[in-house]
Amino acid sequence: MFIIDGIILLLTSNLILTQALGTSTLFIAAESRKKLLGTALTITFFTTAGSAAAYFINNLMTEKFKNLTLLFYTLTIGLLYMIILILLYFTGKEKFRDIRKYVHISAFNCAVMGTLFTVTETAKFYPERNNINDFMLSGLQAGAGFLITAFILTAAYKRLTSSDVPASFRGFPAMLVYLGIISMAVYALK
Amino acid sequence: MNRKNSVFDGLLNDNTVLSSFMVISPIIICGDTLRNAVALIYAFSAITFLSVMFGSFVPQKLPYALKIIIYAVISSLVYIPVRLAAEQFFPDIIPRIGIYFMLLAVNSLITVQTEAKFYRMKRGRMILSLIFYIVGFDTVMLITASVRELLAYGTVYDRIVDADILISGLGKPFGGFIFLGLFCGVYRKIRFMANHLKGAN
Amino acid sequence: MQKIKKSERFVWIDIMLTLLAIEVMQYFYYGIRVVVLSGVCAFVSFVAEIVSLNLVNRDFTADDLTCISDALIISLMLPAVIDFRIVAIACVFAVIVVKNIFGGRDNMIFSPSAAAYIFMLVSWKNQVLMFTEPHVRTGISEKAENLVSSASHVFNTSGRMNYSDFEILMGNMRGAGGAVSILLLIVSAVILILRRDISFGAFLGTIFGTAFLAYCIPVCRSKYDSVKYMLVSNMILFAAVYIISDKRIAPRKNYYAFFYGFFIAMFSYILLLKTEKENIIIIVSVFFTPVSLAFRNFEKNIEFSETEGV
Repeated sequence: MFIIDGIILLLTSNLILTQALGTSTLFIAAESRKKLLGTALTITFFTTAGSAAAYFINNLMTEKFKNLTLLFYTLTIGLLYMIILILLYFTGKEKFRDIRKYVHISAFNCAVMGTLFTVTETAKFYPERNNINDFMLSGLQAGAGFLITAFILTAAYKRLTSSDVPASFRGFPAMLVYLGIISMAVYALK
Repeated sequence: MNRKNSVFDGLLNDNTVLSSFMVISPIIICGDTLRNAVALIYAFSAITFLSVMFGSFVPQKLPYALKIIIYAVISSLVYIPVRLAAEQFFPDIIPRIGIYFMLLAVNSLITVQTEAKFYRMKRGRMILSLIFYIVGFDTVMLITASVRELLAYGTVYDRIVDADILISGLGKPFGGFIFLGLFCGVYRKIRFMANHLKGAN
Repeated sequence: MQKIKKSERFVWIDIMLTLLAIEVMQYFYYGIRVVVLSGVCAFVSFVAEIVSLNLVNRDFTADDLTCISDALIISLMLPAVIDFRIVAIACVFAVIVVKNIFGGRDNMIFSPSAAAYIFMLVSWKNQVLMFTEPHVRTGISEKAENLVSSASHVFNTSGRMNYSDFEILMGNMRGAGGAVSILLLIVSAVILILRRDISFGAFLGTIFGTAFLAYCIPVCRSKYDSVKYMLVSNMILFAAVYIISDKRIAPRKNYYAFFYGFFIAMFSYILLLKTEKENIIIIVSVFFTPVSLAFRNFEKNIEFSETEGV
């Protein structure tokens, strides 16, 4: 019951299926399973750590400077981007070469930045959720949602790119329609 | 000939949305009415054009990751005056567009295409090419928004038209996904046919 | 190859015969409008199939007639009084967007009928979920009055089913024509299973899963009533026969198909308890398509490794 509840929550609050955040990144990452998993995990790191940082930024910033929110979020993600690349570099050059592409794809995209803004908006509506734990949990949830959507797309990837699909719809257009139908089911579930 | 082709690429052959599948979330979510579309077109065009122009002064010798961060910071700074102006021009629309306005500042055209495409060109050519990439996005946004608004709400720029039956689902996010998928397919089909005709000639 | 193609056509004929039997039953309850509704669905689907196949340079063969059975399934999930234009749009959506964009019958991903039903549900909810009473006949061009909610809706919100067992079996209750004809659905299920036209594993998984949960977490005071009413309401039986057990979608092996059906039933039941939404099993069945695809990929991998091993 608890697991089903969790899955339903991840679906109905899924940023890709409900807000189309990170769709382009998902398509880039969908080329291979390894790439998809790597990207999903890196995005989860960015959304979780970024959400924690967003909590502090929101609380430190006054209403007067609200237009600077985007700049501070960008700087935060930029800092995380650098930290993760430096850590990877010192872990081993081969590992660095393997993993850095996932970091490049995952850092600045709608999935990560969208999560920070969505979490902030949610905290505005529900003040009881304006705490570091809820921010980090929401970030983790967004990453897990990306992972679930990645699974949904991977399951059909071969069929969506197969020669049976008409040439003009093969690949990305078919993926968009596929995600659209799944998104429709999620919308009907709400 | 070659120069002409590259400049027009962003409009048709290498359209930001239909070919490269970038910046699709604002189209899917906010591209359901022409009012939203106009505000988003303004924001996207202003932020992208100014950010890419300012970004072109960043030394190319810097490491890739650092350059990407600098581009994102530049666009976040450009966002501020664009947002302030938008609050004057489109006061009702800004709340409806919500976070997608801010997300335009980290769009893939700025963070990915700059390095892969624009900054490899000479400045004059880059400006022309960039304008056509922006116009390419704007055109898709306008077409998507007008069709979805007409079919989902029975209006055109908020004016009621005589529509017998409305497909409200088209105005929802899933409608955006499906419509954009169909649009991409039709666009590709037309391109295939055009290439076929060219080949025949 | 020829043999496989022939058997596909026989499957279609069997399914059509069972659907037509339900259609005849509905004619007695709702009159000529039901027949016209199905006719509109079949005609629009047929035309959409021919046009879309033509656009992708494929020939129309007898195997493509499955579009008509899908159209009849759509019509049987709807109230007899629904606007014909809505079902026409839904049928075009089913054939073009849900089926032929992905490569048609050679590369089926979603059940066209289930996806089209959800499309109508989210776009025209009131038209899809409001019904006339049985025996109220509406003319072809008449506008229906005194529309009511379905028996499933009343059951979901109150836990009561105000119909006798005989009425339930005969389909003499409020709801979508096809979904309430319980006796005919049972007969259809038996015939289709015996003739191997539908996936037995998926059917069994769905029925067992629903019955099991309805027994363990009853919605009525009596566990027996809970199981009985759960199986006859919310299109559970109809979906189990014509949507979840569709051999084009369900996992091939009965063992995996059972779990596929069981998971759908489990999710639907829990969501039904939480949201009280009508016919949620149809929504869940579309949502479980990736699971079915994953099972199918897994089956292929096993087959491949077995042949490699040999």
